[in-house]
Amino acid sequence: MKKQWLSITLGIVTATGGFLDAGTIATAGEAGAKFGLGLIWAVIVATIAVIMLVEMVGRFSAVSKKTYAEAIRENLGFRFYLFPLISELIAESLMLAAELGGISISISLLTGIPWHTLFPFVAIGIWILAWRAPFSLIENGPALLGLATLAFIAGIIALGGVPTHLFPTLWHPDFQQGTGADYLYLVAAILGSTISPYLLHFYSSGAREESWSTSSLILNRVTAIMGMGFGSMGAIALVVLSAIVLQPLQIGSSTLGELGLVLAKPFGVIGTYLFAIALFATCLGAALEVLLAVSYNIAQGFGWEWGEDKKPAEAARFNLVITIFLLIAVVIGLIGIDPLKLALFASTVIALFLPISLAPFLILMNDKQYLGEHTNGRFTNIVMVCILIMALLVAIVSLPLEIITGGG
Amino acid sequence: MWKQNKFWQQAGTWLGLLMLLAAVTACNFTQSAFAQTANNAGSAFAAAETTLAYEHAGKITPAYASSSFLSYQSELSGTDQSLISQATGDKRTLHRLLALYMPAMQVVNAPCLSNSCNWQKQLTQLKNASAAFNEAGS
Repeated sequence: MKKQWLSITLGIVTATGGFLDAGTIATAGEAGAKFGLGLIWAVIVATIAVIMLVEMVGRFSAVSKKTYAEAIRENLGFRFYLFPLISELIAESLMLAAELGGISISISLLTGIPWHTLFPFVAIGIWILAWRAPFSLIENGPALLGLATLAFIAGIIALGGVPTHLFPTLWHPDFQQGTGADYLYLVAAILGSTISPYLLHFYSSGAREESWSTSSLILNRVTAIMGMGFGSMGAIALVVLSAIVLQPLQIGSSTLGELGLVLAKPFGVIGTYLFAIALFATCLGAALEVLLAVSYNIAQGFGWEWGEDKKPAEAARFNLVITIFLLIAVVIGLIGIDPLKLALFASTVIALFLPISLAPFLILMNDKQYLGEHTNGRFTNIVMVCILIMALLVAIVSLPLEIITGGG
Repeated sequence: MWKQNKFWQQAGTWLGLLMLLAAVTACNFTQSAFAQTANNAGSAFAAAETTLAYEHAGKITPAYASSSFLSYQSELSGTDQSLISQATGDKRTLHRLLALYMPAMQVVNAPCLSNSCNWQKQLTQLKNASAAFNEAGS
């Protein structure tokens, strides 16, 4: 029992790596710098949605002893399974490249070495970790470093709290002429970066790696709420800090380095170290999660042997996917697009495909063959339909907004 | 099978129309390309100015500053060409921005991160560029 409760760290790492990643940091920073507190509502809506989805996917895996990918293929057929798989491969290869870039930039901010130079070495490091590290190390390492994101909350306190003049921007954001499309674009990007399908596959597979059962359902609920809540607090704090520090200086937060200035103002050099560590931890956690989630997804969908704790020879094809997918992300990253821009673009692409990834939930979570008495109740189904409608609306506007705004 | 194909065709058509509607609506809420470019450049020059000021105030390390300036370089390079191609009408604004762009860009390419050079002058150049570009973008 004690061991089970200790596995709450699964939620924390899923939050720091899955909720807070290059995409969330990029969107939160830009949201605060451009619209004050006017987009916090979008972070809260996305948090509620992701808490519900994570709770559902954890419940599903704990009760049915199957992962989300396995169930999609089994219940809806292999041809249907390919739809979300292809869409996720496109979106997540971009996101993985952005996460690798985020790690490179965090090291670059500490050392002054150009991030392009660091990028290939970071990719090799991630490959070694994903190839050889046991699940517990991947779970606990970034989780501990991820505590540096608490510096965003400490930064607000050190700056004397939220200035009263910012509160009206909560319900009446500062719109300059012609920035309406930017606002809508950021709403889509915030939802896309928060409700990431890789997060659900990683969580679902993690529940199986840790052999969750029906006795883990309370733990699952606590993990979903606490883990996602922790990630959400960090994102909201970053929106607030950007609004306090960057907005008055008319800095739009278009590179990750300038985003670190929000902690340099209250804490000086130590603040920049904290920012670099927070960026490193969240991007490291997310890079490992994306990489493993894609490999889990493919191995489970195709019925191959899988598992991070298995030796590479025991799950050869699972480990081969890790290598190939990482190589694809490296090629994308070597083009040299700024990681923050790539993260924003990846978030929009995720938003575009979100309905395809989430639609199977409604069917699977009401299937008594899998869940017995633990199927969704009426309230959860209503929320799920609302999430799907929201995802569809976001998908419709995301692509036109990406083109019109030029990526924010 | 035929019915299923027809359903997907209709769904695709509706989705395409809705995306087009979203695009047309969003066009009414967006800045011109020239204003967008000027705004982004103004924001990047403001970030460069703050980075330089923070570095000399000891709030960030030289390593942090030089890494940040590399990002500002890639963010700002080619802005002059974009402004020239996007300018429609007001040539005075364009010439004023281009005149401020060149010296500010020299600072971004070679920021003075020690006390051995005139960093205050660089700060002024970045401030002037940032103010002018932000004004043109608003």
